[in-house]
Amino acid sequence: MVINRVMKKCLAIGWVLFSLWSCGGGADEKPGEVLAFVKPEHFPEPTYTFQNNPITAEGFELGKKLFFDPILSRDKSVSCNNCHQQSRAFADTPLHPTSVGVDNRFGIRNAPSIANMAFMKEFFWDGAVTHLDFVPINAIESDVEMDESLENVVKKLNASEAYRTKFKTAFGTEEATAPYLLHALSQFTAMMISADSKYDKYLQGQEELTANESRGLALFEQKCSSCHAGVLFTDQSYRNNGISSDFGDKGRGLITEDEADEGKFKVPSLRNAGITAPYMHNAKFSTLEEVLEHYGNGMVDSPTLDPSFKNGEVVVGIPMTKEEQGDIIEFIHTLTDYTFISDERFRNNE
Amino acid sequence: MKISKILALLALIVTIMSCENDEPQPEEFGTFQLYFDNKVGASELTLSEPGSTNYNYETTNGEKFNLSRFGYYVSKIKLEGPNGELYEDEVSVSASESKGYYQILESVASSHNVMLENVPAGSYSKVTFTIGVAEDGVQEGALGGVLDPAKGAWFWNWNAGYIGMAIEGTAENSAQQYVDWGNGTETKEKTFAVHVGGWKDVTDNENFVNNVRTRTLDFGTTVSVSEELSPNAHVVTDVLKLLDGVNIDFSSTYSVHAPKAGKPFADQLANAFVVHHVHQSSNGHGH
Repeated sequence: MVINRVMKKCLAIGWVLFSLWSCGGGADEKPGEVLAFVKPEHFPEPTYTFQNNPITAEGFELGKKLFFDPILSRDKSVSCNNCHQQSRAFADTPLHPTSVGVDNRFGIRNAPSIANMAFMKEFFWDGAVTHLDFVPINAIESDVEMDESLENVVKKLNASEAYRTKFKTAFGTEEATAPYLLHALSQFTAMMISADSKYDKYLQGQEELTANESRGLALFEQKCSSCHAGVLFTDQSYRNNGISSDFGDKGRGLITEDEADEGKFKVPSLRNAGITAPYMHNAKFSTLEEVLEHYGNGMVDSPTLDPSFKNGEVVVGIPMTKEEQGDIIEFIHTLTDYTFISDERFRNNE
Repeated sequence: MKISKILALLALIVTIMSCENDEPQPEEFGTFQLYFDNKVGASELTLSEPGSTNYNYETTNGEKFNLSRFGYYVSKIKLEGPNGELYEDEVSVSASESKGYYQILESVASSHNVMLENVPAGSYSKVTFTIGVAEDGVQEGALGGVLDPAKGAWFWNWNAGYIGMAIEGTAENSAQQYVDWGNGTETKEKTFAVHVGGWKDVTDNENFVNNVRTRTLDFGTTVSVSEELSPNAHVVTDVLKLLDGVNIDFSSTYSVHAPKAGKPFADQLANAFVVHHVHQSSNGHGH
């Protein structure tokens, strides 16, 4: 175990050195600022293809500028940050239960936290996208979000001398292109690692949980962790958790075109859930109390309801007492990562 | 394992690797050209305007149609010869290029020619290539060149990946109604669009199908590559074979935009590509 830890550290250091070395021919690092993706020890291997897009200070800065710039939208009114705000772990504010796009158009889903995307296999509530680089395209081109074409975004960026210079500094390219735009955004978002909550400190032996939180953790492991699994708190599967029997939004079924997938949505990570209200794909619940009550007593049956909530034909949900629900909620609050939501690197400082 | 053993092993590996570099390199290389000739049965493919009711083609079942767009991605090209000759076209992708990926577009004449360079001198009797963009390409992330979604790549936003082959046109029996999309784009009446995409199989879900296909085509003869000899293989891609192969009925099949719906077309790709003939020298072929 000790050896393992040491080896992991060596590997991490090796990675940093390698990153630095491989960037040697490109942009200069700012003195004293080492910007590298370092996997938290207790996290799984990242899914992101860093070998195609090594993180550099300049690439990250460009991605950050783009993330906060409404230039990505048709009428320059909506930026990524509109629906992904740092104080909410880059989920939307409760004032926007579902996304608000150009011309105040309403989306149909709640914008989730985009922390820890470098570790995810698929993206969006329905898993439409299988690579982080392609994620922004859907937001840019959705007519209820940014309502812009990728092609036109590239045109607008090239019309700006400031952007052309930044693309050149970051990637050595004479003009902004879509792949570099997407790479820059991925550099910024892949760095959004949330792994420093009270729970993480507890795992590392640095902090104790309270009695209630400990009971909550035990209950969580017993009742919730088959889906909200592992340190990412999601098994990344698609399930119907009994929100509705009317699949106005078919969810995963939109992608697979399979009736058996209608009403299924990606199991969300619960990291930072304490600050990412409202909950569920359609923002049905505004508090964690409502969420737990739903799992306890509020499930709606339908042909695709996850079998884990049923006992034969009977919907049983997750039987819990009020007290148990309260303990679980206290545990969920230990997943709030105050370091992440106050990390200067992700703050809009323009 | 002791550190000394690891070091010894490393030294051995390094030695082997450096030995490989000392192997004699083939001293002679040439070029090989693939010419993709898109046809409709025996007829040359001529593109029409979308919505045009001038139906210049007909399927065996009597479905009258024309084509307004036709094309496909080709990648991982490999040439093989009877004496173990092997050439694998380099695939090298990044945000600035997609080397080894080709988008053959009927509307762009220069895209019909794929020039393979640095082919080792020797005899070659068959070619292998992949139609579509396979998982390893999709999962590289954002790429440049013919896979740049802002520069004409056929990227699917939802169910993200690339359309491997696109067949669009107008058909007498198509049930497509006129649609004004409100943003300056429209879908004309009686048009059809077959987009063959999908790059993964998902267990227990027949809607995720891998429609990427790899074909090996025999030349029926051998051609030689050398510094002086640049052969040319004339590949015919027959749209009619695809449409006849699925017994197309445009009254029900006019909007194919999902992996499952595209699978019957993907299954016909084996029949649609043939090497019609080869030229020993590409000089004077006239393409």
